[in-house]
Amino acid sequence: METDDVPLDDKAKRMRDLLSSFYAPDPSSTDNAPSNPGTLDAINTTSFDADQYMNLLIQKSNLEALLQRHVEMAAEIKNIDTDLQMLVYENYNKFISATDAIKRMKTNIVGMEANMEQLLDKIMSVQSKSDGVNTSLFEKRERVEKLHRTRNLLRKVQFIYDLPTRLEKCIEAEAYVDAVKFYTGAMPIFKAYGDSSFQDCKQASEEAIAVIVKNLQGKLFSDSESIQARAEAAVLLKQLDFPVDSLQVKLLEKLEQSLGDLQLKTNDIENASMESNDPKQGKVSDSVHITAHEGSVRGFAEAISAYRVIFPESEEQLIKLVQDVVVKHFETTEQYVKGRISSANLMCVLRTIWTDVLLMDEVLSEAVLPVFSLEAAQIALKQHVASTFNYLLQDISDALLRVTVSSKEAAEEHSLQVALEASKKAVLQGSMDVLLDFRQLLDDDLQLLVQLRDFIIDWVQEGFQDFFRALYDRFLLLSGRNSSSRQDQGLTGAHGEKVLAGLVLVLAQLSVFIEQTVIPRITEEIAASFSGGGARGYENGPAFVPGVICRIFRSAGERLLHHYINMRTQKVSTLLRKRFTTPNWVKHKEPREVHMFVDLFLQELKESASEVKQILPQGLARKHWRSDSNGSTASSRSNQLRDDKMTRSNTQRARSQLLETHLAKLFKQKVEIFTKVEYTQESVVTTTVKLCLKSLQEFVRLQTFNRSGFQQIQLDIQFLRTPLKETVEDEAAVDFLLDEVIVAASERCLDPIPLEPPILDRLIQAKLAKWKEQNPISP
Amino acid sequence: MQGGSSGIGYGLKYQARCISDVKADTDHTSFLTGTLSLREENEVHLIRLSSGGTELICEGLFSHPNEIWDLASCPFDQRIFSTVFSTGSLFDIDLPFYGLKMETGLIVFFAGEGESYGAAIWQIPELYGQLNSPQLERIASLDAHTRKINCVLWWPSGRHDKLISIDDENLFLWTLDCSKKTAQVQSKQTSGMLHYLSGGAWDPHDINAVATTCESSVQFWDLRTMKKTNAVERAHIRNANYDMKNNHILVTAEDESGIHIWDLRKPKSPVKELPGHTHWTWAVTCNPEYDGLILSAGTDSSVNLWLAPTSAEEDATSESIVESPAQQAGPLLNSYSDYEDSVYGLAWSSREPWTFASLSYDGRVVVESVKPFLSRK
Repeated sequence: METDDVPLDDKAKRMRDLLSSFYAPDPSSTDNAPSNPGTLDAINTTSFDADQYMNLLIQKSNLEALLQRHVEMAAEIKNIDTDLQMLVYENYNKFISATDAIKRMKTNIVGMEANMEQLLDKIMSVQSKSDGVNTSLFEKRERVEKLHRTRNLLRKVQFIYDLPTRLEKCIEAEAYVDAVKFYTGAMPIFKAYGDSSFQDCKQASEEAIAVIVKNLQGKLFSDSESIQARAEAAVLLKQLDFPVDSLQVKLLEKLEQSLGDLQLKTNDIENASMESNDPKQGKVSDSVHITAHEGSVRGFAEAISAYRVIFPESEEQLIKLVQDVVVKHFETTEQYVKGRISSANLMCVLRTIWTDVLLMDEVLSEAVLPVFSLEAAQIALKQHVASTFNYLLQDISDALLRVTVSSKEAAEEHSLQVALEASKKAVLQGSMDVLLDFRQLLDDDLQLLVQLRDFIIDWVQEGFQDFFRALYDRFLLLSGRNSSSRQDQGLTGAHGEKVLAGLVLVLAQLSVFIEQTVIPRITEEIAASFSGGGARGYENGPAFVPGVICRIFRSAGERLLHHYINMRTQKVSTLLRKRFTTPNWVKHKEPREVHMFVDLFLQELKESASEVKQILPQGLARKHWRSDSNGSTASSRSNQLRDDKMTRSNTQRARSQLLETHLAKLFKQKVEIFTKVEYTQESVVTTTVKLCLKSLQEFVRLQTFNRSGFQQIQLDIQFLRTPLKETVEDEAAVDFLLDEVIVAASERCLDPIPLEPPILDRLIQAKLAKWKEQNPISP
Repeated sequence: MQGGSSGIGYGLKYQARCISDVKADTDHTSFLTGTLSLREENEVHLIRLSSGGTELICEGLFSHPNEIWDLASCPFDQRIFSTVFSTGSLFDIDLPFYGLKMETGLIVFFAGEGESYGAAIWQIPELYGQLNSPQLERIASLDAHTRKINCVLWWPSGRHDKLISIDDENLFLWTLDCSKKTAQVQSKQTSGMLHYLSGGAWDPHDINAVATTCESSVQFWDLRTMKKTNAVERAHIRNANYDMKNNHILVTAEDESGIHIWDLRKPKSPVKELPGHTHWTWAVTCNPEYDGLILSAGTDSSVNLWLAPTSAEEDATSESIVESPAQQAGPLLNSYSDYEDSVYGLAWSSREPWTFASLSYDGRVVVESVKPFLSRK
């Protein structure tokens, strides 16, 4: 059944396999199929077992199939036999043709050896002949070569002899390149024989070369020549072993000279920019100056680039030179900044410098001029900011000091007010101007400034911070109570004692103004246009901390206000001290009139009140807010006390009075004498009065009085009562204090018998009359 | 009113100005105080803080012939003290009718002066507790003065047989012999014209150095030569006190301008400035134990406790005032304001250096402890 399916070309394939297995070196390699001897296919393998095959065949197939198989096998065997026969024939054929070929080769080789020998002979003869020719021509060739050499030498000699003339020709034609080439070519010879045979020649050519050198130098230094020409000249000179270094130095000097010119022009620009501040006509000249300057800088830049081409290795010097220029620029700028200039002017200068820098940078980028000038500009700008603030400070203190002068010379009514307004304006307007000024710096699109933007913002913020600190210090200095400025004692000592109380008051109010108005304005302004920055790192926070400044000025204001009150009370204290330490109170005479210290006291108060009125605002509630409540009770009680005293005076001395006053005090509400000072006219005056009265009480306590002394005090105090109440906000406290003085006097009196009310009245009336007489208008 | 409740009060009968710590009493915390009454009989009170520290006990009550302007306890004998008194009141009390005559100017007081001052050294009698009405024993009168006497100084650091008394014009150095009960003027120096002396302080570090205050300056004297050695120009100094712990440090109180701390090696400008009181700063005293702890009493009826160490870097502090005003209130630890009247008397206890006694004019002694504020240091 399977044999039926065997394809036809199977036969051919088997043939090939057989042939190849025959020729194959290893027969085992052919049976690659691991045949199973149990199958019918195993017939083609080497391990074919016929018996097994037969058994298998018989077992598996029926008779018919066996017969069929038999026929097939017979056919196949026949086939194989024919194949075998064909193979044998083919092999035989090939063998015969091989023997034929060998036979033919053998016959061909026989005649070849004789031919070969002939050829060898001929080659030998050719060789000997060519040797002959060679030897015979050798001598002639030698001579020809020698002659040729001589000719070359002669030509060279000729060249050297011709050199001077040739050089001259070259000079005439200005063909210096050729000339130098010739000369350098001849140099070795001159070196070798220059002292002997070619002396004249050498001299002549050296002369010529000297001329050339001179010409070349001229060319090098002449600005009219093109840069290439000059560079060529330099190269040639170098080839001629001319000391180029000295030339370089010379040229450098020349450049430096031109630098000087440049410098002068910077000054011009400054002048110009100053002028440009003035009316329009300045602008024209300004631009003229600038263009002029720019021209010169451009020239300078060209010169530098030329120089660089000429002396390529001189970069370092050039860099130094250029940096020098920039440094000088900035030096002048710094000098300039020290003066009082606006940012616009500074910007003008900076812009000029920047264009210069850019121009120079084009030709010499190695000098990193932009970076360099950035640093320099940073310094200059910083200085500018600092000096601007300095001037602002100066302005403000000037405005304040004008107070001193003006109020000293002309004691006008409103001089303090004027001063306050002026200084307020100086502070506010000044700082606004400063901000505006710096705004210009920020708004400008000059690259230099753009890069420094963050720095500027920081500086401005820092500047304000420092400025207000400085202002605070200045205030303290001006007020003369400066603890921290002990170092500059010379300054404080000079006018420290003479500080005007009014000035202190102005300062106090100014502090408040700064805290409440200026700082918020500036904060706003800074937030609007100076935000950002942060070049100094965020961990430090923003440079300008309005909170801190506000706090400083708030406390400064309070301190100054207290200081003012102190100054005022100090004056009164001195007055009182004199009053109480001079007379002998124990031997005092009967009171005849109100003592004049009262006048002085009131006058001091009036002075203070007039100052206060100019500077401070009026309080909202005047006088009455206190008298309704506890004040009235206290005063009524003290009135009672007084009445008590009166009645007692009619009887006899008041022995147990002390106890009584003590009792009265116990029951009386403790009057708050020392309340917080406010920024109002009334508050300040009241505080002053209170402090003075307290001082009065203390002075009284230190003395011992006789009856008349006591009565004198009683009289003085009684007189003070009315005018004081008029000026003072807190009547109750003042009443209380006045009573206290009388009580103190009575306590310290050996014989405290008050004056009779009618006498008291009479004396007071007399004083009033006298007073009116003296100052007809003012009361 | 803060801290008001912590104070222990004690009332004197009359007004009073001066209180002194009894330094020599090592067993108890006691104070001496004397009244200032023109017309009544004045008293000296020996007050002792009870062992529990909750009460002030009157240990002794002695009558004093005159009103007491200054009182100082002897630093080495607890029974001895000095007073400065005014004799002006003598006539009023003992001779009431002289008042009338005085008015007419018929009677001329001592040496043409209206009122006269005296100074004396007193000894508290032994066994005073058992006596019915103990009398003070006058050891010596410092009677060389012709002017108004301001104060008597003992050397604060220990036993020393010298005393200093200061009147308006002169500085007296006395040799005191307690056993012989004599006091003799050893030397005397006039301060010079136009310098009205007002008080003084004896340097605890230098037995020969004394500071006197006058109207326009603080002057420093060397007691060996009785010559002026130095001066600090400053007006209106009320009171001066040497720092017990630090040499060269002097604290002054001024009428209007607060408290100043001076390093005497640099007398040009104060080392430190404290705001002082709303009105005059009357007295100032350094704590004997705690560095930089300063008490001040003022006529604004308050006592302020300050902490102002001077040994630390001074420059930094003066700068810090500028730096942040918030710190400015720093030196003020507390303000005791529970007083009815001006406070003139002030004394630290040397036995319990965290305790101080204050005396207001209405005769009220208040002993307070500053312990709650010490922990802040």
